Amino acid sequence: MKGRRVPFAVSATAVLTYAFLHLPLVVLIAFSFNRSRFGVQWGGFTLDWFTRLASRPDILRALRLSLVVGVASTLLATVIGTVAALALSRHRRRVRRVAEALLYLPIVTPEIVAGVSLLVLFSWLGITLGITTIVIAHTAFSIPFVTVVVLARLEGTDRALEEAAMSLGADELSTFRRITLPLLLPGILAGALLAFTLSFDDFVTTFFVSGVGSTTLPLAVYSMVRKSVEPTINALSALLVIVTTVAVYFADRLARGSTRA
Amino acid sequence: MTSRGRSRRAFIATATRAVLAASVAAPVLSACAGERRPPAPGLEPELNIYNWFDYIGPETVAGFEQEYGVRVTYDTYESNEEMLGKLMAGATGYDLVVPTGYQLPLLRERGLIARLDRSRLTNWGNLMPLFQSTPADPGGEHGVPFQWGITGIAYRADLLPSAPDSWGAFLDGFAAGKATMLDDGREVLGAMLRYRGHSLNSTDLAELAGARQDAIAAKAHLLAFMTLALKGQLASGDVAMAQCWNGDARQAQRENPDIAFALPREGSLIFNDYMVLLSDAPHPAAATAFLDYILRSDVGAAISEETGYGTPNRAAQERMRDPIPYPLPAELARLEYQHDLGSATELWDRIWTEVKASA
Amino acid sequence: MIAARRRFLRWVSRHEGSRGALLLGPGGAWLFAFFLLPILILLGYSFMPRGPYGGVESGFTLEHYRRFLDPLYLGILRRTVWLSFLCTIACLLLAFPTAYFIVRSGRRRNLLLFLAVLPFWTSSLVRTYAMIFLLRDSGLINRALMDLGLVHVPLRLLYTEGAVLAGLVYGALPFMILPIYASLEKLDPALLEAAEGLGARPWARFVRIVWPLTFPGVAVGSLLVFVPSLGSFVVPDLLGGARHMMIGNLIQNQFGPARNWPFGSAAAFAVMAFLMIAMLGVLRMTGGRAGTGDAR
Repeated sequence: MKGRRVPFAVSATAVLTYAFLHLPLVVLIAFSFNRSRFGVQWGGFTLDWFTRLASRPDILRALRLSLVVGVASTLLATVIGTVAALALSRHRRRVRRVAEALLYLPIVTPEIVAGVSLLVLFSWLGITLGITTIVIAHTAFSIPFVTVVVLARLEGTDRALEEAAMSLGADELSTFRRITLPLLLPGILAGALLAFTLSFDDFVTTFFVSGVGSTTLPLAVYSMVRKSVEPTINALSALLVIVTTVAVYFADRLARGSTRA
Repeated sequence: MTSRGRSRRAFIATATRAVLAASVAAPVLSACAGERRPPAPGLEPELNIYNWFDYIGPETVAGFEQEYGVRVTYDTYESNEEMLGKLMAGATGYDLVVPTGYQLPLLRERGLIARLDRSRLTNWGNLMPLFQSTPADPGGEHGVPFQWGITGIAYRADLLPSAPDSWGAFLDGFAAGKATMLDDGREVLGAMLRYRGHSLNSTDLAELAGARQDAIAAKAHLLAFMTLALKGQLASGDVAMAQCWNGDARQAQRENPDIAFALPREGSLIFNDYMVLLSDAPHPAAATAFLDYILRSDVGAAISEETGYGTPNRAAQERMRDPIPYPLPAELARLEYQHDLGSATELWDRIWTEVKASA
Repeated sequence: MIAARRRFLRWVSRHEGSRGALLLGPGGAWLFAFFLLPILILLGYSFMPRGPYGGVESGFTLEHYRRFLDPLYLGILRRTVWLSFLCTIACLLLAFPTAYFIVRSGRRRNLLLFLAVLPFWTSSLVRTYAMIFLLRDSGLINRALMDLGLVHVPLRLLYTEGAVLAGLVYGALPFMILPIYASLEKLDPALLEAAEGLGARPWARFVRIVWPLTFPGVAVGSLLVFVPSLGSFVVPDLLGGARHMMIGNLIQNQFGPARNWPFGSAAAFAVMAFLMIAMLGVLRMTGGRAGTGDAR
């Protein structure tokens, strides 16, 4: 966009906003390498706090659980969300409005309401809270995100390719497998990565539907944070941030690269 | 296909493979939870315990796992109400929980806890006679006494001009800005009731109104309502005076010897905690074995030495270097046990909400 | 095998309509069962009397809603709404210039977008912890202020209402940047140039052209900020020292220590009802503005 330069006030605010968004986390991660335990005096560089994490069985268990739940809910949400996106893009009818409303309802509901309502549901059905209930909950809030991402990808692809394949004699299933799916794959992967990130980082919903021995990493961080401020928590937080950054980076690349197709 | 297209395809192929690999690896990882010897005969292979935070010895659970070959899942909570709230939600999957004495009649009446199989508790005789049958658990049929303690004031002797000896210290801004009270309605309102000379189990509207007023007045001087973070904050000096349990104060003293503990002259509450077996426990045999295990003198001693609370176990006490002595009659006169509030629970909850929501 | 496949395909092509339902089925069913249905059950719970355990027992009662209409609870809701409103305004003031900056950034746009998106996905808990780390008496901000000699005693930053607000803004800001960016991006610069050519001053250009056209983005962003802030309980708990009660804390309390699920459900629904009304109000405003925007 050509034209006059951006007013200084605007640029300054923008820069400050970026600083506000990122500096606290950068500081947090920086101090996870700090040798001294208390205060913010720099006592030297160390990886001790990270290695200490590895020797804490409760944290390792939480990490393992977060990964298991993340992968399970991602697989479910990706499949269901992709299928839903396909349906939404092809069938332009009144159903679409209702479906969209249902699909996007989670976004306008405070997470605490969703969390307690799931607690109520599971209690009413007599289902013991545990890993299963967490996976169910995570899948539920991930589906809309996957749908949005895949739908965006779908709307950007050229329907002509599919029509060409069909006119050449391929049936629906082959067309889907050979043409549509590969075209969609970047979008699907991006959606999957985002679903994983949502699940890996989720706290509120998980808080209400977790049970015996189903402490995910964010729940473990919560207990630690409530208790004290120490570099071990910084290290754990750094771990969470790094996983998130990597996942979002790849999702971003996949989603963006694909629109240039 | 362009070279860019080729490399993009390769990237996507790699990414897909990675995702598939991860989804296979994760369940495998969780399955290989670690090899363990088979459980002792008659015991289930797992046990789920729900206990207060920082309320066990460092090797207690691991020791049990080794000896009995049972895998223990150990979760923690910060207040009776939190634990009860979880229990009331329905089948939780826990086997053992640690309620305070006043909840035992309640749990018993509602069939939530099971009768102990005393024949399997071979170490029962280790308990002091006064703990073998208590008002909360007559005949010792439903709970194994775990620890006992009192609520008082923990403070930094080096940061305060003098030792606080009254609950009024929270009202007159004695350590203003650096004082905290427990994040527990029964504790805070109970303290304020004792301050005015009433019972901390009062359901009298006038007395409670006074306590409410005092609590709101105290809140103005408080840094925060704090339970879990107390030890760290006392040690670092962010908090100079806190409503605190004696065991926590003792644990904090290890980090900072300037921390002292005082029982206010108006009196306070004394509590017995019991480890109980839930009636819908999925692993009752393993749970009973654990109950017997903690009654051992060595295990009991290790627990109390770590937690800093009093042990109900005579044999354990004899092994300890520096056990907390059971209160003398003069002190006991100032101490009060909590009772279940029954229908007044909602009233207390409302008052506590008012205190927390006040400006 | 091939015959089965052919039969399946014939069935599929014949049932074109129900195929849509089939594809939408799993997603719709999942969300219905694990999102809509639970909320309906929650609504039902709010009208049932409290059981002995804190759950519900059969019956119908309005007592929980009556109880919620007490000034104590309405006051908590009011304070929460006020804080969330402040948070939304603060986010708006920060996000708008930022979004504009991204739009005008040329080659670095992708990087800036990525940097704006990233906090959106980071765990809210970690971000709250980062705030604690900065704001506590022995934290970085006080340390810096003391080292610079600006203060001699640490400022009480943590456990204040300001800390809660800062935490809310920090958590919600990314949600405001993206929708506004999306709206701004679609803005045709020719419009602004034309307006300038006709003599309109910068402020007038903003009010008359930029604001109305980006209003949908602002509305979406405000929604995405206001809703989570309203239900927040971790931030007031960790940053407020458990002494600044927001409605989220009340609800969480009822489902935990206070053991009063029906009352908690009623409180949750009061929040939802408030949100619905607020959203309808905004929708009505957006409908009007969008109309103006379309009339180019």
